[in-house]
Amino acid sequence: MRVGIDVGGTFTDLICVTPDGEVILDKTPTTPADQSVGVMTGLQLLADRVGLSLADFCRQLEALVHGTTTADNTMIEMNGAPTGLLVTEGHRDEIEMRRVHKEEIWDPSYPPPEPIARRRCRIPIPERLDFEGNVVKVLDEDAVRRGVQRLQKLGCRSIAVVFLHSFTNPVHELRARELVLEEFPDVEHISLSHEVMPKAPEYERTSTTLVNAYVAPRIAAYTGQLTDKLRSAGYGGQMLIMQSTGGVMPPDYVARRAVSLLASGPTGGVMGAAVAAARSGAPDFVAVDMGGTSYDVCLVRGGRPEIKTDWNWRYRYYIGQPMVDVESVGAGGGSIAHVRQGALLVGPESAGSQPGPVCYGRGGTRATVTDADVVLGYLPVDNFAGGRMTLDVDAARAAIQRDVAEPLGLDVIEAAWGVERIVNANMANAVRKVVAQYGADARELAMIAYGGNGAVHAWAQARELGVRRILVPKAAPAFSALGLLVADYLIDLTRAYVVPLSRVDVSRVVHLFAEMLDEADKELAPATLDPADVSRELYALMCYPGQNFDMSVPVPEGTELSDPNLLDLAGRFHDLHESDRGFAFRGQQPLLRGVRLIAKGTTPKPPTLAHVGDVTDASAAVKGRRPVFFGEGFVDTPVFDGARLGPGATIAGPALVEEPFTVVVLPPGDRAILDRHGNYDIIVGS
Amino acid sequence: MDVDLVQLAGHRARLADTITVDPVTAEVVRGAMETVCWEMATYVSRTATTPILNQSNERNGSILDARGRLAALSVGIPQFMLSSALPIRFALEYLGVEEFRPGDVFVANDPYHGGGHLPDYNVFAPVFDDGGELILIPSIQCHHGDTGGGVPGGYNVTANDIWGEGVRWPAIKVIDRGVERRDVLYALATNNRLPGYIGDLRAQIGAAQLAVVRLGEIIERYGSGTVRESVDSMIEYAAKRFREEVAAWPDGVYEADAYVDHDPLGNKDIHIHVKITVDGDALKIDYTGSDTRDEIQAWSTYGNTRGYTIAQIASMMDPAIPKNEGFFEAIDLIAPAGCVLNPRAGKPVSAGTHHPGADIGEVIALAFQHVLPDKAVPQTYKTGIPTTITGIDPRTGVQFIDPSTEVYAGWCNAARGMDAWGAQAASFGNLWKATAEINESIFPHIQWERDYRTDSGGPGQWRGLCGSHWVKQVRVPFKVYTYVVGMKYPMPGIAGGMPGAPNRLVLHYESDHELVVAHTADWVPHAADEKLNYDYGGGGGWGDPLDRDTQAVLDDVLDEYVSVEGAERDYGVVLRGSLEELTLEVDEEATARLRSARRAAG
Repeated sequence: MRVGIDVGGTFTDLICVTPDGEVILDKTPTTPADQSVGVMTGLQLLADRVGLSLADFCRQLEALVHGTTTADNTMIEMNGAPTGLLVTEGHRDEIEMRRVHKEEIWDPSYPPPEPIARRRCRIPIPERLDFEGNVVKVLDEDAVRRGVQRLQKLGCRSIAVVFLHSFTNPVHELRARELVLEEFPDVEHISLSHEVMPKAPEYERTSTTLVNAYVAPRIAAYTGQLTDKLRSAGYGGQMLIMQSTGGVMPPDYVARRAVSLLASGPTGGVMGAAVAAARSGAPDFVAVDMGGTSYDVCLVRGGRPEIKTDWNWRYRYYIGQPMVDVESVGAGGGSIAHVRQGALLVGPESAGSQPGPVCYGRGGTRATVTDADVVLGYLPVDNFAGGRMTLDVDAARAAIQRDVAEPLGLDVIEAAWGVERIVNANMANAVRKVVAQYGADARELAMIAYGGNGAVHAWAQARELGVRRILVPKAAPAFSALGLLVADYLIDLTRAYVVPLSRVDVSRVVHLFAEMLDEADKELAPATLDPADVSRELYALMCYPGQNFDMSVPVPEGTELSDPNLLDLAGRFHDLHESDRGFAFRGQQPLLRGVRLIAKGTTPKPPTLAHVGDVTDASAAVKGRRPVFFGEGFVDTPVFDGARLGPGATIAGPALVEEPFTVVVLPPGDRAILDRHGNYDIIVGS
Repeated sequence: MDVDLVQLAGHRARLADTITVDPVTAEVVRGAMETVCWEMATYVSRTATTPILNQSNERNGSILDARGRLAALSVGIPQFMLSSALPIRFALEYLGVEEFRPGDVFVANDPYHGGGHLPDYNVFAPVFDDGGELILIPSIQCHHGDTGGGVPGGYNVTANDIWGEGVRWPAIKVIDRGVERRDVLYALATNNRLPGYIGDLRAQIGAAQLAVVRLGEIIERYGSGTVRESVDSMIEYAAKRFREEVAAWPDGVYEADAYVDHDPLGNKDIHIHVKITVDGDALKIDYTGSDTRDEIQAWSTYGNTRGYTIAQIASMMDPAIPKNEGFFEAIDLIAPAGCVLNPRAGKPVSAGTHHPGADIGEVIALAFQHVLPDKAVPQTYKTGIPTTITGIDPRTGVQFIDPSTEVYAGWCNAARGMDAWGAQAASFGNLWKATAEINESIFPHIQWERDYRTDSGGPGQWRGLCGSHWVKQVRVPFKVYTYVVGMKYPMPGIAGGMPGAPNRLVLHYESDHELVVAHTADWVPHAADEKLNYDYGGGGGWGDPLDRDTQAVLDDVLDEYVSVEGAERDYGVVLRGSLEELTLEVDEEATARLRSARRAAG
């Protein structure tokens, strides 16, 4: 038995794959104060579904993979550990200056981010290395001791150390850790910048290290608590936790690299999408997840999600860690529509799930996207959310009339359609931006739509973007939990070594490679993986002198690297640069910035991803009809019961396919086939 | 050849006779066009080869309509985005619309044909509908590290005239109907010192061509008529929103003066004067009375003046109003020919683009400080010009040019209700300045310090941002070229706030022959391992410092933005206890006494 449990903002998604390959999906409300309560409730729920006691269920578990938002919540609420910083004298204020970056250029009253370590908690330490790691000013050990004493007096419980060029020579940071421990033996956590982010430059490393030190004690406490609960419930195996790289690792590993959990929430869905799309033969696609408050977009090419190694901002801090590149915009079912000075705006303000859209009847009073959806006929009024809810369409209509139609002088249907057009355009622009960053073309990509509202809106965006194929997986509503189960172990390590390629000491590179391979082996050892399931990819981080961002160039030679190989390496860098950026300076000497290892341990994948029905003649699964608005008048539209459809069932639009937690909207011209993997494969009409 | 820039900047008719497009469609088209601007800028960042573009984000994407009206813009720096339209209008009206053909791409950089200063290269290309009618012109403007002329780096501040500052390209076709003009690209390359220049220009050309394709798709999708009406509709919407904001401002005539310490030749007190008239929803900004001395060397062209004016006004309005031609149309702007804010053609502009250009933000904020105190936050700076350091890099044997574009804090004023924060004013938030760790691997130097200077932020009810104490040591023999302002006239306080600390640049720092720069450093030689110290000025405070919350002052002292002495001297707050021992507290009684005595003394 393998279980994935993903904690979302509203619901904790559950997935269980039984030994005979059956996939069970469910949801339980998230318990925000202590997420482990909801996790244990979810386990009980799954145990009930397979007819076992919790203890028996836990004993039969082969794997438990967990996605948690604890790191994100700590940053949203800014309730991490009181944190102090020891920093190279003269560079105390990098974290406030932010390389001059401000998020709002037209608003002089835009506030600063809330500080993790106020200036008084940032202690300047006399010490300095040059860029080659030579000591140009020795570490003032007394200053470190006095600084730690002062931070204790200021109430700090966690300490970050950021010295310039420490990634080239960590001697001063390592000594500082010893001194911190001598002066403050019960410090909760110490983050050394060269361990958290072993590369330049200083603002990015300071921000990343501070966030790590701030969040780590909370992660350690949470995973410790959950591990204890699982042990007492009878689970003897190792829990794995999803990181923002899209890979999983055990709790003690992630507790040291707490920052790698930030923004890991949407990655589960992307990894699930990658597996679902691969099975349906769509290696190049854009994954779009439309929930209640946000719309998350990720580009996947060759079955691999794009990993972004720079310009990752979360909660107004720079996070210098590779992350699956998920861009998020404030567009979801709960996004509020309003007219401001004659312009119709939708979002980013959201009614979320509480109070939610007006049609939920839970006290929401402002018109939302979901209200427009129900007015236009997309949503099942009597059978919403798996039959657990009835929607109040009159209240939705009244809200759109009042908030949108009257201020704009439109009728209520035109107004609802206007809300759709704006939110769809906002989402299409978000997709264009993601695709543009990688120089890809949306018209050559499929779109995988999931989340509660993804399949309701995908058709309109596909037209806007020129996308010709949409996949809607049946497992879509619990996709992030599915993603946990298909994710692999992943370790992503770097070591800095800054030198022009012509002056590289190959033995040093080989030594760094060996060091990283050794570290990865140690970290992966507890997983007892079959050696055949472990892959290791080595890279050189290279750039042209003067460039800020480096590229990862494969080094298949590994520890066999020799001097003649360096010439090849330069050639490979020029080629990669040309294919990715459109040009190369073949006459120029590239700069080596460091080395990188990505080690992967493959986990078993479930044979099927979703339960599929057995009705192949779709007309037999029609359960009703209702009028639906696709842009030009209401069209009488058949409604299909998705649970009954079997592989090969074909449906031509106009049509609605109702699944327990979502609706697939097919306008006239679109045509869907349910494939044997449980994906609705939609050909977009013109 | 003189072009009348005032006439060039004037009102232009809209594209459609009547607007029937619905507001939702107009909004959808606007969103799509702003995304294209963003795509252009991203394309440049991805493909540019030199740090100023791929590291520092000095690139501005915008879209003009067929009449040269600003239709949309997105990322960039407000002052520069708003000054990118006129070179295109020049090309349209002086070369003629018949010179615009499908597949063409133009390059322009000349201040007297609509540009700001010579290092800013504007690349633009026309977009036609399927009837062959010109509809839109995307433009991508980037600051380059050199532009030919008398000195490397693009800032020849002592040149006699514009020709001495660099090579001028009013508007020249680099791609003619899809075919690259090799002669022209060769000529461009020949007139620039930097080997990366053509690579960066090609990145801009590629970005403009990408935008042509994208905008073509938008025209095809929505129809040429709808796109034209959408552009008209968004410009009129912005103008309407602008006038509504102005209508909420109190009617009256507001005047103020601002000064630049001196020009690069040492001529003192370059004066700018503004008279702002708010009358209902009409806004008139008149610079009559500004300096007209012919011998000075501080000239901001009309296009530059207009960009800085609008950038400051835009910062005082609802940030959600789309930035487009509507802003220009809703302002009556007067800058008499021959004054520093509208020089006669040929005057040098290297120094003046920044000063008095940037000081426009200051003078407008000062004029409005008592009537719109909530909004009067100068979006400006006192850079002078970037401090250029050159020498021979021992690692390569080649000359290096370090423009000192690394991070430092300076000149950021407080707003009502908020202490200033970060490093610079919000307008520059899209910059991404260089770092010690990367620059030390490129240049033979060590950046020892750049922390906030205690007590350098202008005191006020809300505190101005501290400036930086910047120290750099260069490990080889080097020369320094720069122009320093903001010593006599630092950033002013607003609504009773105090000014920030002044700038100060010390050459041969910590030697027995320290030299404080009076106005320019003209390639001053230094020995290996000598240091420079630039104390960048602070931002001005907002409101009376005696009204600052005493606990906020205590916090500032604990954080060393303000010293114990500064608390008493600048804020009238008496502290007891010890900063060292963390036992500081406010002596409320002594503070109340001191503050009331200060108030009584006026």
